[in-house]
Amino acid sequence: MKHFTRLAAAAALGALMGGTALAEGLYTPNLAYRTGPFAATGIPIMNGQKDYMELLNARDGGIGGVPVDFEECETGYSTEKGVECYEKTKGRAIVTQPWSTGITLQVLPKTNVDEIPILAPGYGFSPMADGKVFKWAFNTPLSYWDGASIILEYLSQQGDLKGKKVAFLHLDHPFGKEPLPYLEMKAESQGFELLPIPVGLKEMQNQSAQWLQIRRERPDYVIMWGWGAMNAGAITEAVKTKFPMENMLGVWWAGHDADLNLVGEAGKGYKSVSWSFPNPDAPIMADLQKYLVEPGNTLSNPEEMAGVFYSRGLVISMMLAEGIHVAQAHFGKGEISPSELRWGLENLNLTEERLAELGMTGMVPPFSTSCANHTGHSGGWILEWDGAKFTKASDLIMPDSAAIAELEEAKAKEYAEANAPWPMNDDCKM
Amino acid sequence: MLYRTAGQFKTSYQADQALFPIRQDAVLLGIILIFAWAILPLVASEFAYQTLLIPILIYSLAALGLNILTGYAGQLSLGTAAFMGVGAYACYKLVTLFPWMNPIVAILLSGVFSAGVGVLFGIPSLRIKGFYLAIATLAAQFFLVWLFEKWGWLYNYNASGAIQVPNLEMFGVYVAGPQASSVVQYFVVLGVVTLMTLICINLTRGTLGRSWKATRDMDIAAELIGINLMRSKLTAFAISSYVVGVAGALFVFMWRGAAEPNLFDIPLSFRILFIAIIGGLGSVLGNYLGAILIVGLPVVLNTVPEALGLPISSATVEHLNVMIVGSLIVFFLIIEPHGLARLWALIREKLIIWPFPH
Repeated sequence: MKHFTRLAAAAALGALMGGTALAEGLYTPNLAYRTGPFAATGIPIMNGQKDYMELLNARDGGIGGVPVDFEECETGYSTEKGVECYEKTKGRAIVTQPWSTGITLQVLPKTNVDEIPILAPGYGFSPMADGKVFKWAFNTPLSYWDGASIILEYLSQQGDLKGKKVAFLHLDHPFGKEPLPYLEMKAESQGFELLPIPVGLKEMQNQSAQWLQIRRERPDYVIMWGWGAMNAGAITEAVKTKFPMENMLGVWWAGHDADLNLVGEAGKGYKSVSWSFPNPDAPIMADLQKYLVEPGNTLSNPEEMAGVFYSRGLVISMMLAEGIHVAQAHFGKGEISPSELRWGLENLNLTEERLAELGMTGMVPPFSTSCANHTGHSGGWILEWDGAKFTKASDLIMPDSAAIAELEEAKAKEYAEANAPWPMNDDCKM
Repeated sequence: MLYRTAGQFKTSYQADQALFPIRQDAVLLGIILIFAWAILPLVASEFAYQTLLIPILIYSLAALGLNILTGYAGQLSLGTAAFMGVGAYACYKLVTLFPWMNPIVAILLSGVFSAGVGVLFGIPSLRIKGFYLAIATLAAQFFLVWLFEKWGWLYNYNASGAIQVPNLEMFGVYVAGPQASSVVQYFVVLGVVTLMTLICINLTRGTLGRSWKATRDMDIAAELIGINLMRSKLTAFAISSYVVGVAGALFVFMWRGAAEPNLFDIPLSFRILFIAIIGGLGSVLGNYLGAILIVGLPVVLNTVPEALGLPISSATVEHLNVMIVGSLIVFFLIIEPHGLARLWALIREKLIIWPFPH
């Protein structure tokens, strides 16, 4: 009983005081989701992120000699848990990685007040690219609008889009609706017919109604903005309705090896845009083998490590580590503060040479950020499923930056007005 | 000992019918109120506000609303989350259409809209009962969430389809939105919840509450002794939906800061129903106890391994958490099927007659 009281007292105290346990180093929490409905897609990414930071600790003793304290806070992809994790970690954290559009939307306005940079690689709100308005938010290296633009660019390379019919199969959720403004704008200027087909959260696994509509409308292409169970549902439905797989393209979150493994050969030709690619010959993979796999310090397995999502996790942590590295070099100290990391993320310059130095050639396109450009707009590859794995089906394709920048500026302004008084990034004179 | 009632004589009917016939109850409540209003704000951290105090209060209020309908009037409802959504969206439209409006007035007004919708969906209750009525409220749940998704006007045609709480000022202090401090939000929530609880306690003790209970216990008998069933049921729907709507507005404006339609989907309805059932149907206190168990306990459990320095991964903690909370729910329901409020009532009874049990 005495023991129990002490336990309860410790718990109550801990809860009231917030996470007070102290650890040394650069505290970079990750709001992970290894449980819940999206765990299958979450685990490989989380493993990649964790392994990269642990590799840095094991191989180089951290970044700039300071160990990285990479901690996961489990959210199960639930917004409520996400906010709990954010509140728990924000006291000491130099960055927050929210990992869901819902959590991002909630944390985004708070980061301005708490002054913590928010790193949402390849997800979140596309106008975050406008660093003049979103001082603390980063969505390197590509936003959803960039992704949509690259897909349209690729399709135009296959033949003029004028008069074609493009179905946009998307999750009926802020994430799925994100590229709509861009696609609508482009449908008008390029003269194709856009057919948005929403998939409700409850219909993810049973999309027969949506695919019936696709069969009736006979679109030339299907662009898919799916996540979690929706991808597997759509791909199996497409195979069942005998939709030509080569005319189906997904966003980077819809390019998960496990989803395609379900259909195997039948999924041949399916494409997904991506800003990361697994390169088994990259020096980093050998280092991972030596420092983590052989001593048995990884939660991953060889099959997962060869996949697209694991390598994406590596790339995400690399971008964060690089931001820390740049900030350390600029401010001349090891233990950097959140606002110093913000400067670092704003001044990323990942050239081909730098990527080679990091041992990650070919795993992410080179890009750089600035105070006005918080995305980097690196460009991406179209990956194609060959029946067993994803292969690169195109050279690097760049998004239509001019059209996107215009839209970004307008939407960012709208956001700032709706959230007035919104602090702008006045130091940025670009 | 603590609950000695000896020497507390009632000399008038009024004293006998008072809210607290036993002095110790009033003292206990006083202590809790002092804690909530004065001591907790002095010691609580940002984390405690955002993950424990504010959500527990809001969930309690939502469960209180449901309890009026299900616990007192006996009308089973599975649409609580949708009515919360009506409150939240109404509040969003009010503050964006009339930016000069006082946020607290807007929150209290938004309940009126959910009350209207609640009455509308309550009309079937005049003909159907029990599980059949539950299905009718389930229809409200599906329909309203669908409406939140499809009716662009509700979210001001925002591209993401979500509502974002703007910064709202009141007497020069931010009370909602990212600029608002947690202490201010806590006091607003506490104020509204205290007020609502006070009203609800007195409503359930009064004529209206008695007619609800009569309807719940046996509607034919109630009708025979002259209770207008239509009035009784529809007022239960209206007042319940009003409270739930206010809770929904607080949920988004004082806590979440942003909301997407599927937030108000069935899992939230079930969560609130669980709070009401585990706390105890037909009680006011139970809602608070239930919310502490279902909303507060997992948060506290999550911090235990870290506070003790145990090296358990975050995902494992989450799994353990689900198991512990789940078994606690089963445990409490086995030892007292009528909920935590009844458990407290039994303890109180024992304390009163202690040390001489019959």
